[in-house]
Amino acid sequence: MPYFPNTIDDQREMLATIGAKSLDELFSMVPGELRLNRDLCLPPALGEMELTAHIVELAGKNVSAACVPCFLGGGCYDHFIPAVVDVIASRSEFYTAYTPYQAEASQGTLQAMFEYQTLIAELTGMDFSNASMYDGGSAAVEAVLMALHVGKRTGRVVVAQSVHPEYRQTLKTYLANTDTELLAVGAKDGSVAPAEVEASVTDQTACVLVQHPNFFGCLEEVEALAEITHKKGAMFIVVFDPISLGLLKRPGDYGADIAVAEGQSLGNPMAYGGPYLGIMACREPFLRRMPGRLVGQTADRRGRRCWTLTLQTREQHIRREKATSNICTNQGLFALRAAVYLSLMGPQGMRKVAELCLQKSHYALERLTACGKLEKVFERPTFKEFVVRVKDGRMEKVLAAAAKQYLFPGVQLGKWYPELADCLLIAVTEKRTKAEIDRLADIFG
Amino acid sequence: MRNTRSTQLLFELSRPGCVGVDLPVCDVPERPISELLPAGAINPAPLPLPELSEPDVVRHFVNLSTQNMSVDTHFYPLGSCTMKYNPKRNERLASLPGMVDLHPYQPESAVQGLLELLHESQYFLAEISGLPAVSLQPAAGAHGEMTALLVAAAYFRDRGEKRTTVLIPDGAHGTNPASAAMAGFDVQPIRCDEDGFVDLEEFATHLNERTAVFMITNPNTLGIFEKNIKKIVEMVHAVGALVYLDGANMNAILGITRPGDFGADLMHYNPHKTFSGPHGGGGPGAGPIAVAEKLAPYLPSPIVVKENGVYRLDYDRPKSIGRVRSFFGNVGVLVRMYCYIRTHGAKGLREVSEHAVLNANYLLAKVKHFLEVPHGDRCMHEFVASPVKLKNEKNISTMDIAKRLLDYGYHAPTVYFPLIVKEAMMIEPTETESKATLDAFAEALFRITGESADLLHDAPHTTPVSRADEVLAARKPVLKHGG
Repeated sequence: MPYFPNTIDDQREMLATIGAKSLDELFSMVPGELRLNRDLCLPPALGEMELTAHIVELAGKNVSAACVPCFLGGGCYDHFIPAVVDVIASRSEFYTAYTPYQAEASQGTLQAMFEYQTLIAELTGMDFSNASMYDGGSAAVEAVLMALHVGKRTGRVVVAQSVHPEYRQTLKTYLANTDTELLAVGAKDGSVAPAEVEASVTDQTACVLVQHPNFFGCLEEVEALAEITHKKGAMFIVVFDPISLGLLKRPGDYGADIAVAEGQSLGNPMAYGGPYLGIMACREPFLRRMPGRLVGQTADRRGRRCWTLTLQTREQHIRREKATSNICTNQGLFALRAAVYLSLMGPQGMRKVAELCLQKSHYALERLTACGKLEKVFERPTFKEFVVRVKDGRMEKVLAAAAKQYLFPGVQLGKWYPELADCLLIAVTEKRTKAEIDRLADIFG
Repeated sequence: MRNTRSTQLLFELSRPGCVGVDLPVCDVPERPISELLPAGAINPAPLPLPELSEPDVVRHFVNLSTQNMSVDTHFYPLGSCTMKYNPKRNERLASLPGMVDLHPYQPESAVQGLLELLHESQYFLAEISGLPAVSLQPAAGAHGEMTALLVAAAYFRDRGEKRTTVLIPDGAHGTNPASAAMAGFDVQPIRCDEDGFVDLEEFATHLNERTAVFMITNPNTLGIFEKNIKKIVEMVHAVGALVYLDGANMNAILGITRPGDFGADLMHYNPHKTFSGPHGGGGPGAGPIAVAEKLAPYLPSPIVVKENGVYRLDYDRPKSIGRVRSFFGNVGVLVRMYCYIRTHGAKGLREVSEHAVLNANYLLAKVKHFLEVPHGDRCMHEFVASPVKLKNEKNISTMDIAKRLLDYGYHAPTVYFPLIVKEAMMIEPTETESKATLDAFAEALFRITGESADLLHDAPHTTPVSRADEVLAARKPVLKHGG
């Protein structure tokens, strides 16, 4: 095994130093009756060449979105990743380090996380960002838990049905053993009606959770929703799309108390669902209830500016069962990727990507509905994603045609919204070309 | 040699007009934005992000990277974190477009290779743990803990049993009590005796029909295999409660003994520790869980199943606790885990633990001559030193030693954990370090114990910065540039 540097001779010398007769003797504290007296039943070991051949074969059984046009979205998007992002994240000094417990030997990671926190704060218009969470779904849930702690109002959480269904399912799982009521507010027309939210928020409601642009790609009336929520003394939590902020108002601009997002779009591969990056930012008054790692600026003994983990008294390794969350690590490497992505893009790049998504998705919407066999389902304005109904029971036929043509046409919604069983959620990123969109239209036409 | 400009912040390096990307021209007919979006939704101002060219960005971040210690550059004996070598082949293979450029909502027919890998992974983790049912969904170890506790809660709810308490030894990781609290349980700490074993007498007084789960780390955080594990498991099962194994220390027992065989009902793995997923400066990891048959119906959905040679995701699991995150799981980490297990096979995995335990015992044998190691002459994969004599006689703390080790070119061990050991210094060398490295490390540690208190109090002396003022950072938090 090339990963074990010690030779048989080394081992012998080491055992002698220890005063043990055999390797087996070192395990004498494991009672004999509990020992596994057989080999694990695993396939035989593979050398590097054999392993490579095996994984390449498995990869060959997958249809890679690198090779076919991907119009799938729903919280994970095929955005372009500049080469620089991969190069920086492949630096051993970043990816083989761990949580920066020893600040003096971890300034690279610490400063990168501080830069990430700054970039996210500026991107969202919020006061503070943490150093990241697991993914968009768990970040949304942690935001709700945070609101339950902050407000001491634990009776109800109001959630728009236009929030990602898997985020809502995750929230339901987390709240299963509490007395908090999870109240869903409908999104019949593709977004929630502010009046309906107003009617749902009681004086025991901790927060209102919406997504903007929402799961259907539609914009929500976030300013009105924020105002209503605040009037009732609840917290306003928004799930945003980081790419949309190249064009749309920032959560901090329209009154979000906590803003969370799936950060996959910011330079992270789709990777069949993970690992991703949970973004979380909040307003100043809630800082000390925010879960997750935080990096702060400080000075060393010579007075030089440096960085360290801070406000750790919120965290599990100190507070144990009274911590703000059980979260231990962040998604350091993916936060780094997001920081590199955002610094490459800058304001101009973010605007351009957002505009490309907007223009291409609207071209696609027009092109797809022109044939008369598809119809737009919601009238609300959209950003990069939209829902279309496949008319006349042609869904299966269309999907089969798309599979044959090696093209992923969109996400089926019936699994989460039975009333939308004949609908597809179609995402169009900056990577989709006019030719690909035209091909998609031809499949439907 | 050091590039000092690199430690400036991106915002300080920013120059108006610079851009680091060249995006394509729009190839579809463009419409005025005002036709597509309501005016009130649009941000009238440009985003206040820094403006940098591509070389600016590369130089900045590459220089930042050089200010880190890492496994590839330094010995990193951070106890409990299993900082082993991260095989490069796994990085390459996990980055194949056919593995990484996959959308989570692709049709199952278009991800058969990956589903096969994940299905096999479920089996591997079941076999290694002796617990037959596996969920790959949790995103990290702590997330796996909470998921498993939610599974336990659902199991008891289904049986109509009202059990409210989780018992946790005081030597456990902080995530254990925090996860239990998040899953809605009360936490009862259990004292460990002087040798680090669960105090059976105290344990018995807290164990009753309200106990839901006993969480145990075994080998424990002192690197010692719990000698009474069999008795403990019997006691827990006798009151109808479940035993949870914190799998943080699996690197010590691969193929030696299995949690399912010594009586655990649920456990999580840390593939980023045991199976070499890179730690990424703090993540991503993954936290798959394995459970006993009777708990299988409650696992998160979906899991991968195979029918007639075809792999698919099974969501039809009515008793499932539901989801604990969006999408399938941290697949990228799981692919690396799969590669690691396939590289080693059964014999290789056993050797991992043998070498890890040999290395730890060897280092223990060297270190015990000049630092107190209060919990015996033998350990599993790690051990905890407790240099209280230096503290008492020379006012040299574990923190001082840790900081001075950085000067010698070693990452520090885990310090001040577990909380039950004074001046704790938790050392885990892993199996991928050579005898020569361990000798040199022990030598450095020995030399440090002879150095003057003044020198040590001001250590480190050679790192890019000296000791960071943590009190200042917390008193007046500056968490972003400009505020």
